[in-house]
Amino acid sequence: MSPITLSRRQALAGGAIGSVAALLALAGCSTDSAESAGRLLTIPREDMGTFTRNFNPFSPNNAPMTAQAIYEPMLIFNAVRGDTVPWLAESWEAAEDGMSMTFHLREDVTWSDGNPLVAQDVVTTFDVQLKTLGGYDYLDTVTAEDDHTVVFTFSRAYSVALYELGQQLVTPDHVWSKIDDPAKDTNENPVGTGPFTEIANFQAQSFDLMPNPTYWQKDKVKIPGIRMLAFAGNDGANLAAINGDVDWAPQYMADIQTAYVDKDSEHRHYWFPGIGSTIQWTLNTTKAPFNDPAFRKAVSQVVDREAVCQTGMSGYASPVDPTGMGEGFADWKDPEALASPLCTYDVSAAEKALDEAGYTKGADGRRSNPDGSELSFSISVGSTSSDWLSVAQIIVQNLADVGITATVDSPDWSEVTSSLENGSFDTAVCWSSVGATPYTYYQSAMSVDKVKPVGEQTFENYHRFGDQEATELLGQFAATFDEDEQKEICKQIQARFLETWPVIPLFPGPEWGAYTDVNFTGWPTEEDAYASLSTRSTTTVLILTSLEPRA
Amino acid sequence: MSYVLKRLGFYLLAFWASITLNFLLPRLMPGDPVSRMFAKGGAKLTEEQALQLQQLFGLDDRPMWQQYISYIKSMLTGDMGVSISRFPSPVSAVIGSQIGWTILLGAVALLIAVLLGNLLGIIAAWYRGGFIDSVFPPLLVFLGSFPYFWLAMAGLYVFGTGLGWFPLRHAFTAGIVADWASPAFLGDVAYHLVLPASTIVLVSLGGWALGMRNTMISTNSEDYIVMAEAKGLKRSRIMLRYAARNAMLPSVTSFGMSLGFIVGGSMLTEVVFAYPGVGYQLLSAVNALDYPLMQGIFFTITAAVLAANFLVDIVYVRLDPRVRTA
Repeated sequence: MSPITLSRRQALAGGAIGSVAALLALAGCSTDSAESAGRLLTIPREDMGTFTRNFNPFSPNNAPMTAQAIYEPMLIFNAVRGDTVPWLAESWEAAEDGMSMTFHLREDVTWSDGNPLVAQDVVTTFDVQLKTLGGYDYLDTVTAEDDHTVVFTFSRAYSVALYELGQQLVTPDHVWSKIDDPAKDTNENPVGTGPFTEIANFQAQSFDLMPNPTYWQKDKVKIPGIRMLAFAGNDGANLAAINGDVDWAPQYMADIQTAYVDKDSEHRHYWFPGIGSTIQWTLNTTKAPFNDPAFRKAVSQVVDREAVCQTGMSGYASPVDPTGMGEGFADWKDPEALASPLCTYDVSAAEKALDEAGYTKGADGRRSNPDGSELSFSISVGSTSSDWLSVAQIIVQNLADVGITATVDSPDWSEVTSSLENGSFDTAVCWSSVGATPYTYYQSAMSVDKVKPVGEQTFENYHRFGDQEATELLGQFAATFDEDEQKEICKQIQARFLETWPVIPLFPGPEWGAYTDVNFTGWPTEEDAYASLSTRSTTTVLILTSLEPRA
Repeated sequence: MSYVLKRLGFYLLAFWASITLNFLLPRLMPGDPVSRMFAKGGAKLTEEQALQLQQLFGLDDRPMWQQYISYIKSMLTGDMGVSISRFPSPVSAVIGSQIGWTILLGAVALLIAVLLGNLLGIIAAWYRGGFIDSVFPPLLVFLGSFPYFWLAMAGLYVFGTGLGWFPLRHAFTAGIVADWASPAFLGDVAYHLVLPASTIVLVSLGGWALGMRNTMISTNSEDYIVMAEAKGLKRSRIMLRYAARNAMLPSVTSFGMSLGFIVGGSMLTEVVFAYPGVGYQLLSAVNALDYPLMQGIFFTITAAVLAANFLVDIVYVRLDPRVRTA
């Protein structure tokens, strides 16, 4: 080693710094390839630090917008209004006996490669879906009656099928029938019927989606294209939104009014409709005292849902009504059920009910179980969900006010989820199931078919409660395709829900969404609720075909 | 030579131990990838789909020891399997597409920090009690003791949002074509590198400078320095070629170690600046319980750290004659 080494190092350092400076000087003159087409609708994706070029609609982790802009379903269910928009199918009907269903496809739809949409495409789609991801256990056959008519037959009458089958993304037969292993294909150059199918300039952290040249509603595509940006977390995506670099902000933002809207209140808006799954306080009904309906009903009245929503959820959510259903299901709710006091904050009624059920106060003011044993339990919430943590803390405080000891347990979500799945938890703040009809919610809340013994992994009905009567009602609901009849049955199900009170609903989960109309107008609003502001819902395509550049 | 062989044997053992840990740790975590996905989707999957997904991902329910044997086999053949959170991309492709950015950011920041830090340390020790010696060490320690993400966010806020001097995110401007031959693109990349790299440099500079300063001070009191001064050699020559060269040894060791850790990525930088890289990937792999990807990244880090250490050992043989006989 000679002394030269050091001077060589110094030279290197000098050179490196010099060239960085030179590069910096050049940086000002980089050009944007797509800018000539006009401003692209820019959307952040907050939970992907980088994108993978995977536009396979059958893949659980495909690139964003695969299911929204590239592939389309036969019908779209708008959860905010609770109505159905015909899309690739213009009409459909169920057979009298409920054992089959026919969809009539539009005749003017073409794939982005110019081929027409035919019934065989739908048949192949279901073939591939069953082979890769499964589901549809009630489905018997799928046949193409003629070029634009598809018939589904069922192994049992199942009315909820309409939404499940109808919202399956349709893929072209002439592409997917030739792919050997559809589950593992990344489908880099997708052929779809959606408004934006042409992938341009795919980079690890951004890509552009350009208009489908043969779109069947060409007159509705007014925006020049979509640009997706990758972010490794909410903070980065929020900063981009606050800075005005993105047009859409579908991710959670704390204190959105001050942080985002107030910066440009003329153009920026947010709207959080309560159409997500109902967030509930789930009690493990295999354990005492949670197996006692009287206890569940009493503590439900102890919870101050107003405070939970205002303080815990920063006012972004509103308290649930006693039916447990979200805001989109207004038509289904039974006025009698709505009048129930079970979700009303009423400490004296709750104390009375607890006394009557045997959970009496001791000399120290703390309540104990009817058998005299100590009454205390934990509420589990994943440590990263700060909003739900404060919800749990409010519940703990409410319980303390009536003499019940509870503590918040906040390990990592993985630990909470696994205790929910194997049934070892006490209580938890968690999600429920949600679908196009109330069936999904009540099925996972009360059906005996969804109940697994403690120790066996379950993905729904964490509280492990089943009611025979409710299960029969649910069966009747699924067997009829007549909506009026379904509504009648649903009333009885709600009565059964109130009777058994399997879970303690808190608030319908808000669907986050904010936007700026500086560049694009035509966004859905509370008054014109043609879609929610989600970028990952089936209704997203309704927004993509409604927006137009600001003149 | 026997020294090098002995070291090599040690590294093989360390390598085996660490890949075994890589195998065990993810499997000790509660839950499985599908239930993670299920929890994240807020129950939008049906139960049938969840079971189907478990099958699709080829989740192993063989006994642990059988899994372990096939794991060792595939690690040795370089087959790292298919990522679950990025299904169906192979782990090697996921890591391969990110590691370039990780190394670019890590290497640039490390080189600048090492060169600048050591230089400051040398000068501070040589002109002990002077301006540099009294201002920089406390200042750098002060900066280095900041929570790192705070400094990064402050930098982003002041120079990105506030002054608008630097871009807020990503490795290059969205929408431009990545063309490594074009100077405009390289310029854009360098421009995007400034903020993330300088926050890392600011935080790590203090460690390098202080370490160098301390060894340099003890070297300065050695007899051969006095001898060199007595002989009337030029001050700068004594400082750099007599004192600094000998004081360099600990720095070389830490440089080698840091070199290995570069491939692990700097997670917080990547999250704050939305910079692509392995660090954030590792975090999301852990969150999604993506065993193959976790194993792949840990494997890469382990291999890099051990290789860098081995290199340092070899360099040591050259730098320090005492090691050869030890």
